[in-house]
Amino acid sequence: MAEVGAGQVARLAVLFERHHRALFRYFVSMNGNREVAEDLVQEVFFRMLRYRTSYDPAQSFTAWMYQIARNAGVDQVRKRGSAQVVDIDSFVDRRAELVSASPGPEESASRGQDLALLRRAMDRLPEDKREILVLSRFQGMKHEDIAEVLGCEVGTVKVRVYRAIRALEQIYFALEKEKAS
Amino acid sequence: MNCEQAKTQMLGGTIPGENQGEEFAAHLASCETCRNESSRIGALWQSLDLLPVEEPSGKVRERFYEMLGAYRQGQASVTMPVKQAWPRMIWQVAAAAALLAVGLGIGYGVHEDRSRPELVQLREEVASMRQLVALSLMQQQSASDRLRGVSWSYQVEPSDEEVMKQLVTTVNHDPNVNVRLAAVDALRPFTGSPATHLMARNAVIEALPKQTTPIVQVALIDFLAELKERNAAPELRRLVSDPDIDSGVRKRAEWALERMQ
Repeated sequence: MAEVGAGQVARLAVLFERHHRALFRYFVSMNGNREVAEDLVQEVFFRMLRYRTSYDPAQSFTAWMYQIARNAGVDQVRKRGSAQVVDIDSFVDRRAELVSASPGPEESASRGQDLALLRRAMDRLPEDKREILVLSRFQGMKHEDIAEVLGCEVGTVKVRVYRAIRALEQIYFALEKEKAS
Repeated sequence: MNCEQAKTQMLGGTIPGENQGEEFAAHLASCETCRNESSRIGALWQSLDLLPVEEPSGKVRERFYEMLGAYRQGQASVTMPVKQAWPRMIWQVAAAAALLAVGLGIGYGVHEDRSRPELVQLREEVASMRQLVALSLMQQQSASDRLRGVSWSYQVEPSDEEVMKQLVTTVNHDPNVNVRLAAVDALRPFTGSPATHLMARNAVIEALPKQTTPIVQVALIDFLAELKERNAAPELRRLVSDPDIDSGVRKRAEWALERMQ
């Protein structure tokens, strides 16, 4: 990114190839809409290009990128307004189908159902808890980087990750009970 | 280490760069509750890794390289030798100073934006970038690039006069019918902005007699009917009475006249 900031704009392609999938997964996990997630990935790289000179090489690039991603996501929600919010139930059902549809032996079908349940539990998590799990688990970010993105202390991140996974556990077991009854 | 402290360490061993440490291990060895909780939560944490990974479509890559190319081209076209540039720069500096004065005046009047001037500046910078990409693409040789430029125009502020004028030029002069049609549609947002609505409406009225392709004529007529633009009535009447005009266009013009009454 430092090279891009110094004027070698074409080097942004390297960063794109390295990070666009992870960004896409972040957005899909957060808003559940593939099309919107693709638009947001584009928006993030557009903003990187625009704000390239504001990047400080001493700063973590990943943290900087996810700060941009979060802002782009917030702006997108504001722009679309509440009328465009994804119907979370239909979205959850669609993804649950996606997870459980994989053919295979009984064991794998049962595991597929467990994963579908887990996916539903993830989607039912409050946004802030889902985000911290997505960043720490799916994006594999260090606590230090997450702290930079969220603007809080590393200790706070640890507590929030713990609370999020506990909340996920509770939702997961509640769904499991619902299914059994 | 007590149970409370142990809870924040429970995921330590599974997160990159994190280490649970000996103290934590000692606590688990002596506390069954924490041991069970750590095992449950650790298993759930690991199972998150089994969730299917969604992949983006190829369009993301295509759009990225298109944006990057357009940006580089736009940058190259605005770079010129200093000797050539200085008379223009004087005007630009003067205009920027005037805009700054106006901006400061507005800034003091608008409480909301006064608190975050850097956000206002960033918004303006992003807007000018979008303008650069849209304008650059609309002037390319390839019709598909120009079509993409028209698509980019939806991302600029509808008060952006320069992009609106380029769209009008595209409607009037682009050799490709699809690009002209797309540009007609892209003018719609500009008719809703107080800054450009008059110019955009007049541009649509003036574009109609310049068109000879029926499909574009119909698109412009529909647009004018939608706007209930009575100033277009003389041109619509001319189309209705001209026997050389395509019959479908004549009918559409007749329909539009009825709708405007």
